Amino acid sequence: MDTTQLLKGVLDLAVLAVVGERDGYGYDVVRRLRAAGLDDVGDASVYGTLRRLYAGGHLTSYVVPSEEGPHRKYYAINDAGRAQLADSTGTWRSFTDAMDKLLGAGGEEAA
Amino acid sequence: MNDTIDAEVARYAAAVRAAFADRPGPERELLLEDLEDHLQEVAAEAGGSLAERLGRPEAYAAELRASAGLPAAGPGAGGRRRGLRESAAARRLERLWRGARAHPAGRAVVEFLPELRPAWWVARGYVAVQAVAVALTPLLGGGGLRFPIPELFGSRVLGLLVTGAAVVASVRLGRRGPGGARRHALTVLANAALGLFAVVMLAELGASEAADDYRPQEVIFTQPAPGLRNDGVEISNIFAFDANGKPLRDVYLVDQDGSAIVATSTDEPELEPRLPLDRDGNPVPHRYPQQQERLVPVDGGDMERRPVPAPRFTPPPGPVRPPPAPPATGPPAGP
Repeated sequence: MDTTQLLKGVLDLAVLAVVGERDGYGYDVVRRLRAAGLDDVGDASVYGTLRRLYAGGHLTSYVVPSEEGPHRKYYAINDAGRAQLADSTGTWRSFTDAMDKLLGAGGEEAA
Repeated sequence: MNDTIDAEVARYAAAVRAAFADRPGPERELLLEDLEDHLQEVAAEAGGSLAERLGRPEAYAAELRASAGLPAAGPGAGGRRRGLRESAAARRLERLWRGARAHPAGRAVVEFLPELRPAWWVARGYVAVQAVAVALTPLLGGGGLRFPIPELFGSRVLGLLVTGAAVVASVRLGRRGPGGARRHALTVLANAALGLFAVVMLAELGASEAADDYRPQEVIFTQPAPGLRNDGVEISNIFAFDANGKPLRDVYLVDQDGSAIVATSTDEPELEPRLPLDRDGNPVPHRYPQQQERLVPVDGGDMERRPVPAPRFTPPPGPVRPPPAPPATGPPAGP
């Protein structure tokens, strides 16, 4: 099954979870998602998701100057983001429970 | 940091930005604001060019659009037609064309244009016969330009028959498509000449029809300014108050058709709305008042975001009465 299709629906949740754990700049978020096992996650998707969550007021940002290399824009979760994260986590759990039950009961025939 | 990386990042970012040319400026900036910084990180990380590591910029832009909840870009927003894009004039023309396509009214016209082609084929046959009739007049005499039926060798019947044949031939020519380069060039030339003649003919017609009371008329076409506007001034945010003057929060606004009323900041790109998101993560643009921040330059050349304060509002002196009842004109209610 194509994981990129699956990722599309849950990328918001994944990005919120990663940023919720610790503030991060764009490429850092990409790396942490890949390190967590989401190998197929696209750089552009993560960047676009970060910008959309930021535009929607679920993330705040601040710039950290650096000696070498570009200044980094860090993203941090805020209250609205945390509420969204909690809400989406609940949805995700009930969804995966349902899918687990479905696949455990009759997944073979359905395929 | 080295220069080749900078140049590569700039080139890649420019190609990505080009694919967002159809989006309004503030939205584009909000999305792509730190694209270059981000690409710098990727470029500085490890071996391989940006294109090798991230794919073609067009594909990167398409993925970015999808993840940001934007519709896929139409043809022309991407990197195709590279040959045409080289010259500055062509670029400007293309920008105009894209601008026209981006505007709903413009898009309607552009999409409608191909549908006019068959009508032109029919008109072309008619115009060609009229052109021949006028060209033959000095040789054979006769009335010259005649409306609506062209006169050939002094005969309207003949004119009608020839017109019918010419229209059929013109439509067949049109349906055959452009053909070879040489025929295509000839067709373009002939079309231009006939088009010019059609304009002259119409002017002639107008002059003869309205010879008595011909008045020049000034017709002004105005392109409505983009964005949501109140008497020409852009509406970048909306504040609602209840009857007691208390500010209302989280109000949805729709127009007479139930379509969302979306505030814009075309004139003031340094205004940044922070839109709330629905359950699926899509921004909700018509919930008011919007949170807004303004980019303000501060010392040292940096930009800082400042929340935009709400406007002052004084309710009209109360109590406010409902409008007076209209005079009863309809039939009386009940039996």
